[in-house]
Amino acid sequence: MAFARNFLPGRTNLMAAARSRYQSSEGVHLHDEAEMPTEDGAMVVAAPSARSFESLMVRYQEGDFAAATALIEACSPRLYRFFLAQAQSRIDADDLLQETWLRIHRVRHTYRTGEPALPWFYAIARHVRIDHYRRAMRGATNELELEQQTRRDEIPARQPDDEYDLDTLLAPLSQSQRELLEMLKVTGMSLEEVARATSSSVGSVKQKVHRAYKKLRETMSAAGLGRERRERLS
Amino acid sequence: MNDKEIDGILKNAKAVTGDPPPEVLRRITDSIVPSLRPVRPLPPAWRMTGTLIAVCAAVSLAGALRVGLAGFDKMDLPQRVVIFSGLAVLVWAAARTLVAEMIPGSRRTVAPLVHLAMSCAGLAGLFALMFHDSSIENFISIGLNCLFTGLLHAVPATLLSWLVLRRGFAMNAAAAGLLAGMLGGLAGVGMLELHCPNFETAHLVVWHTAVVLLSAILGYLAGLVVRRLTRRIA
Repeated sequence: MAFARNFLPGRTNLMAAARSRYQSSEGVHLHDEAEMPTEDGAMVVAAPSARSFESLMVRYQEGDFAAATALIEACSPRLYRFFLAQAQSRIDADDLLQETWLRIHRVRHTYRTGEPALPWFYAIARHVRIDHYRRAMRGATNELELEQQTRRDEIPARQPDDEYDLDTLLAPLSQSQRELLEMLKVTGMSLEEVARATSSSVGSVKQKVHRAYKKLRETMSAAGLGRERRERLS
Repeated sequence: MNDKEIDGILKNAKAVTGDPPPEVLRRITDSIVPSLRPVRPLPPAWRMTGTLIAVCAAVSLAGALRVGLAGFDKMDLPQRVVIFSGLAVLVWAAARTLVAEMIPGSRRTVAPLVHLAMSCAGLAGLFALMFHDSSIENFISIGLNCLFTGLLHAVPATLLSWLVLRRGFAMNAAAAGLLAGMLGGLAGVGMLELHCPNFETAHLVVWHTAVVLLSAILGYLAGLVVRRLTRRIA
C-alpha cells in the first residue's frame, strides 16, 4: 500500500496523461468500439460498456497501456462503490481500491479470454475486502462489533421528509446477504455473475437472496414501508 | 408485502454514490505502469483439467507398477470397469472443481465440502456395490498399511497438482487445499485399487475411502497454513 501511495502527488487529468502517453508510444493501435478520435486526430479509449471490459482485459494482458488506463477509469467507480457500501470510511475505500488494482495487476494472467470480466474483478475485490477486514478484526475491540450489531438490529425510526438509503434498508441483513443484494440491485449483475464473483453456485445465491428478502419483508413490514408505498402509489 | 414491492423500495432507495478521487486513480495507474508488460494467460480450463487427470493417472500407475498389480489381476471384468470408470469420473470432477477454485470468477457448481462428502459417499457406494466379502481379518493392521500406502501416493499427486496450477490464484486457499488433497487422495485410491488384493467390503469402504478423506483434511490444513503465511507476508 505504501508503494502505491508514494507516487506523484497533485491533481492531473488521467485521460490527458493517458492520451499523451498513448500518442508517444509507437505501434499501439486500438481496434474496437472502445476507441474514438479526438480533435487532433489521435485515438483514445472511451469509457467502455460492461461488454467491452473483456476486450480491454485481453489488451491489458498484452501490455497495452491505453487499455489498462481505460480499464482503471471504467472499472474503478464500480469497485469504489462496492467498497464504500461496507467500508468504515472513504479512506478505507481508497486503500481497498488501490490494493485491489495491485492484486488485479499481479494476477491479470488468470483472466481467460471469453469469460465475463466483471465477476473476475469483483471476485478479486471481494477477496481483498475479506483480507482487509480479517486483518482489521484482529486489531479491533469488541466495542466496534457491538456498535455494528446495534446499528443493524432494526431499521431506525424515520422522519417524514427523509428518504431511506440502501445502507439503512439493508442494515438488518448479514454481511454476505447485503453483499449479494448490493451486487444484484446496485451493480446490476445477474445471478450467474454474482455466483461467479462470490465463488458459489447459482442455487446457493438464489437461496441466500430468498432468505434476505424474507428478512427484509419482516423488517420492512414492521417499519410500515410497504403500506406507505402502496398509499403513495394509490 | 411481496418481492416486487421490496424490489421497488430497494430500487428507489438512495444507493451509495461517489467516484474515486482522481489522485487515487492516478496513483493506481502510476503503480501499474512500471510493470506493465505482456503476460501469458492461463491455458484453457479443459487443458488444465486434462493435465491434472494425467498427473493422477501417472502417479497411480507408477506406484502400482512399482509394488505390483495384484488387485487389478484379482478383479473380474465388471469390477474393473465399474471401479476404474467410477474413479475416473470422480477424478475428473475433482480436477474440474480444483481448476475452477484456482481461477477467480469461475463458475462453481458445488461447494468444496459438499464435493468431498459426495466423492467419499460415491466411492464407498461403489465398493459396497461391487465387493461382497463380509469377512474381516486383521482389519486394523492391514487397513493402516493401505491407508499409509495410499497417503504416500496422495502426497506427490497433490504436490504435482499444485505445480500444474501454481500460476492460478486461489480465492480461498483452504478450499483449494482441500480439493487438491482430495484429488491426490483419489490418485492414492487408484493406486490401491490396482495393487491391493484385499477385497473385504469393510476394508475397502473404511480404509480406501479414508485415504481421500484424510488427504483432503491434510490439504485443507496445508491451505490454512499457506493462507496465514501469505497474509503475514502481505
